[in-house]
Amino acid sequence: MTETVNSNITATESLCPHCLTRIQAERRLEGDDVFLVKNCPEHGEFRTPVWRGEPSLSGWSRPKKTVHIGSHMPLEARGCPFDCGICSGHRQQSCTVLIEVTSRCNLACPFCFAAAGAQAGADPSLSVIERWYRTALEKSGPHNIVQLSGGEATLRNDLPAIITMGRDLGFPYIQLNSNGVRLAADPAYAGELKRAGLFSVFLQFDGTDDFIYQAIRGRALLDEKLKAINNCAAAGLGVVLVPTIVPGVNSENIGAILKLAMELAPGVRGVHFQPASYFGRHPKVPEAYDHLTLPDLMRAIELQTNGLMLTEHFSPPGCEHPLCSFHGNFLRLPSGELKSLTTKGAECAIENVGTGRAVSYVAQQWSAPAQTNCCCGSNSLDAFLENHRTNTFAVSAMAFQDVWNLDLERVQECCIHVVAPDGRMIPFCLYNLTSIEGIPLYRKKSC
Amino acid sequence: MSVSNEATGWSCSACGGELEIMKVGFTYMKGNFEVELPACRNCGMVLVSEELATGKMADAERILEDK
Repeated sequence: MTETVNSNITATESLCPHCLTRIQAERRLEGDDVFLVKNCPEHGEFRTPVWRGEPSLSGWSRPKKTVHIGSHMPLEARGCPFDCGICSGHRQQSCTVLIEVTSRCNLACPFCFAAAGAQAGADPSLSVIERWYRTALEKSGPHNIVQLSGGEATLRNDLPAIITMGRDLGFPYIQLNSNGVRLAADPAYAGELKRAGLFSVFLQFDGTDDFIYQAIRGRALLDEKLKAINNCAAAGLGVVLVPTIVPGVNSENIGAILKLAMELAPGVRGVHFQPASYFGRHPKVPEAYDHLTLPDLMRAIELQTNGLMLTEHFSPPGCEHPLCSFHGNFLRLPSGELKSLTTKGAECAIENVGTGRAVSYVAQQWSAPAQTNCCCGSNSLDAFLENHRTNTFAVSAMAFQDVWNLDLERVQECCIHVVAPDGRMIPFCLYNLTSIEGIPLYRKKSC
Repeated sequence: MSVSNEATGWSCSACGGELEIMKVGFTYMKGNFEVELPACRNCGMVLVSEELATGKMADAERILEDK
């Protein structure tokens, strides 16, 4: 689909933010920046930054093979992105599968990709969730991280049973996506989830100051976040902090988040940044500066950690599209310094076996460290390897796409899929995408 | 396969002795490790399984060599 028009312009496709009609688009390199420019015959031109500055996009990619998911939904012949399920044109298999176990929520965040809480429907039954698990298993196999999401998944009192069901069906890595409110309020709850088979918590964590939570989540939450982390660490659940970065709200707090996260390591296993996307519920139509790009984020990390983490410590993805993510691993040294562990090796995808190994590697990093000393003594090989894993700290980011910066080439290489209510597997960004008027492309259509 | 099972069915090619599980020391690039492995009770020859060599030992080597 993609073709290079000239050295500064690459053709792709996107959607009109108003009418969601598929339209031609271009990635235009202008100086060090790249813009997605598209023109709807009815609604005019739209121009959104997708890459700003160094490291330059031209050197930011890794070789990888095309991988097709084995089982496809019948096409409706409307083409990408309207026939998702996954269709035969998709070029990447899943490494993370989201299952939304409720649309209820105990917060009412001004930013919410799922627009959760308002007009929440009934929770899916356990038998429906089992069917979704089996769909994921059939289409992508067990070598995925299954993320239980919502809404706020902890509002379901049968969440432990849902976790155990997933484990019993053969998924080794069940992760919880949570705002942490219940994990903070009930110290025994994290242990209950751990015993049910959970390995890790993706904890919404937007900053180190309550004014940030007021702005993004609607109320002060920092104390609860810290309690949730303590409770998870005590229960042996790995915690990954997941900040949504909103320019002008917490974009100057990135270094402070990393500093606190490393102080809370090894219970906190890493930080996974998500620049704000403008789908679902969000306060306003974004301006150009509201889209924080991956190089903006890498440079902010370098600047705000005073060079402790450098832009060159981060690698492009080996799984999804290069515009979608970066990651870097670091070793915390006893001196308090950090050592970059970044390698250029394969990370994800390629083949089934490779994906399984890669997912296992990521999952192990996000798991809690061993809580007991190895029986073999401090100089055993096992103790050496465990000590290394305990002190490894992961920093990554994922730039989701909204209707403004949607690039169908990126979508076709997506490896994060949501199981829709009707059993379709839909790339996360498409599933959550809404028009400027708030009309969803997929969410609720599939019910 | 458990470590104790790994020792059974083998004999030492150097001296013909039986293998038993022993605490074996490894030294590599200033790193000293102990691992319980099948070794010859007579001459001390050690059996390193392919799983250990390509798994944990390779991981440790990669870390020590800073690869």
